[in-house]
Amino acid sequence: MANTQTAEVNAGGTTTRAHLPSNKDMWVFVLGDLVIFSSYFIIFEIYRHQQRQLFLSAQQHLSLNIGVVNTLVLLASSWFVAQSVQRTRAGEYERAMRLTVGGGLCGVVFILLKAYEWSTKIGHGLTFGSNDFFMFYYMLTGVHLFHVALGLVFLGVVFFELRNPKLRRVSMVETGATYWHMVDLLWVVIFALMYVMR
Amino acid sequence: MDLRPQWISLWLVPFFGAILLFVFVAFPGFLPPMSPEMTAEQVADFYAKNTTMIRFSMIVFNLCAIMMIPFFMVIVVQIKRMSLPSHVLAYSYLAAAATGATLFAIADIFWLIAAYRPGRDPQLILLLNDMAWLIFIAPVGAFVVQNLCLALAVYLDTRPQPIFPRWVAYFSVLTAVAMTPAACAVIFKSGPLAWDGAISFWLRIGAFALNIAVMFFVVRAAISRQAAEQAVKTESPATVTDAKVTR
Amino acid sequence: MSAVSAAPVVTENARPAWTRRPKIDQWICWWTIPIFYNLFGLIFVVLTRVMPPPRPDITPEQIVAFFETHSLTIRIGFAMLMFFIGFASVANGLIALQIKRMSVSPAFAYAYIGALVVGGLPGCLLPAFAFVAGAFRPDRDPQIMVMLYDWCLLSFVGSLGCFCTQNMVLALAIFLDKNDILPKWLAYMSIWMIVTELLASPVFIFKSGPLAWNGSISFYVGTAVFVVWEFAIIRLLYVAIKNQSPAEQIQD
Repeated sequence: MANTQTAEVNAGGTTTRAHLPSNKDMWVFVLGDLVIFSSYFIIFEIYRHQQRQLFLSAQQHLSLNIGVVNTLVLLASSWFVAQSVQRTRAGEYERAMRLTVGGGLCGVVFILLKAYEWSTKIGHGLTFGSNDFFMFYYMLTGVHLFHVALGLVFLGVVFFELRNPKLRRVSMVETGATYWHMVDLLWVVIFALMYVMR
Repeated sequence: MDLRPQWISLWLVPFFGAILLFVFVAFPGFLPPMSPEMTAEQVADFYAKNTTMIRFSMIVFNLCAIMMIPFFMVIVVQIKRMSLPSHVLAYSYLAAAATGATLFAIADIFWLIAAYRPGRDPQLILLLNDMAWLIFIAPVGAFVVQNLCLALAVYLDTRPQPIFPRWVAYFSVLTAVAMTPAACAVIFKSGPLAWDGAISFWLRIGAFALNIAVMFFVVRAAISRQAAEQAVKTESPATVTDAKVTR
Repeated sequence: MSAVSAAPVVTENARPAWTRRPKIDQWICWWTIPIFYNLFGLIFVVLTRVMPPPRPDITPEQIVAFFETHSLTIRIGFAMLMFFIGFASVANGLIALQIKRMSVSPAFAYAYIGALVVGGLPGCLLPAFAFVAGAFRPDRDPQIMVMLYDWCLLSFVGSLGCFCTQNMVLALAIFLDKNDILPKWLAYMSIWMIVTELLASPVFIFKSGPLAWNGSISFYVGTAVFVVWEFAIIRLLYVAIKNQSPAEQIQD
């Protein structure tokens, strides 16, 4: 990913002036992705409004517990990733690498929990085509899962670049973090819309 | 560089071209071409009466038609030898050639499916026959664009000794123009633009065949010149070299 | 072997000045793209009614009526497509060339071409033939008319993998490119394109709702993303060609 136009961290130093974290390309991605997801959320809301009863009763089948755990897992991963940015800025690359791995592992846990959740739903006969609520459920969580997987790829790139003294850049870690925070934010909205809101 | 793959690809043309010409004549539906106005019963009847010959000719088409692809790729290689600002026209030519060949392969399969179970509902045989003919005749864009890319490349070639003579550009454009109206075969069921008409069938196929035949000789001359240039280079490396650098 | 005949030597002033403009071959190729996409809009939106698609959940009688009503414009529109689709190859060749300018192996450039050769067929031309067959003879058995209707729209909206591959190799090439031929944000937009393909996969399951072939998500959002991407790449190709030095050596 391209460099930012702003000052980079020298070994052991800190950035000397305020700047927009990560590069403008990632912000294009994040903002555009949020717009696209917003259109999905709006469409979901329209369908929910039209079929209040169905959505309300179908929602009962979702496990609030797993939803909450998943939310906490992703929030933790975001915390790890944010810490990793701080450590990189401070020049503590070893810790930053470990924190990135921590964030990534939380992401893996999220995926595993999601897979478990899906399999229990499918075991109960609640599949993609069962009704409109579950169509949206699988669709939204599925697209989100794709974003999580992509995020793991980005975090992997961040990790490998941190490992190599020649490639280390704060902007790269910030870019990965920006994306990861967006993934987290999207999950919070999905969780609120699908699991919580009645 | 060993030019044998080019020579082989070149000579595939007359060899398989002769076979393709033979089965073109052998296919009961080309001479004269089947009319789009035939009813489902008439079409089903045709397939029932000519099953063996249809299968034989279309199986041979299936095996042999794509043998033209290496020849088209030799042209891609020759375009890359031209002194052009970039290779973009070679890549466009390649993409178009692959598209056109795939379309012919698909049309061929439809004829064979239609001939597979003569007892099939005539409505289904009619549909399969329609598909085969429409896909065979109408999508001229691929070969047209192939020729336009070649025409532009030949025209822009600034080599002191061009890879292909300048008239190939005009000939390619003429081929494209002759074949273009056949796109209208999707519109008409009768008349010269229908898939059995003078323009969509005879002119289109005639222009295609003529183009292949002429390009055979053009490419043959070009490969010969390439071989001669290579011979000069190996004899005296300090003298004139191929202008291979993209400008 | 027969005597080698030399092609006639051409003098410089035998050809008009425009042929000597730098990168003229790329410029000519570039111009085919906006022209093609405007025609694409005319063909698919106005003439053949494929965009936006008619509904999956109508009766066979209504489907037959659709073909009867639009028979002429479908045939005219797709006759145009038979010709103009060839220019998709030119656009693909141009983008492949720009990928070759990147600091990565040319494998991605060739993969781009390969993926879109696939895409043009089940994704564009074969659906056209299905509609043409329906418009050509609207008096077929209604069950067959329904099948042709399904064939066109499922294939057109539901051709997925070719565009996933195309966008993936483009995104990867851009991410890995150190020459900055195309900006990284185009790579991210290409990821969106992949997501919209994923969200078009349910069209094979649903006959109504947001994930049907005419659905708000599978079709409309997907098409909106595609239009934005297309505008972007047309503009970015223009800039890339403009900034390319005529003396630049591109890997073979």
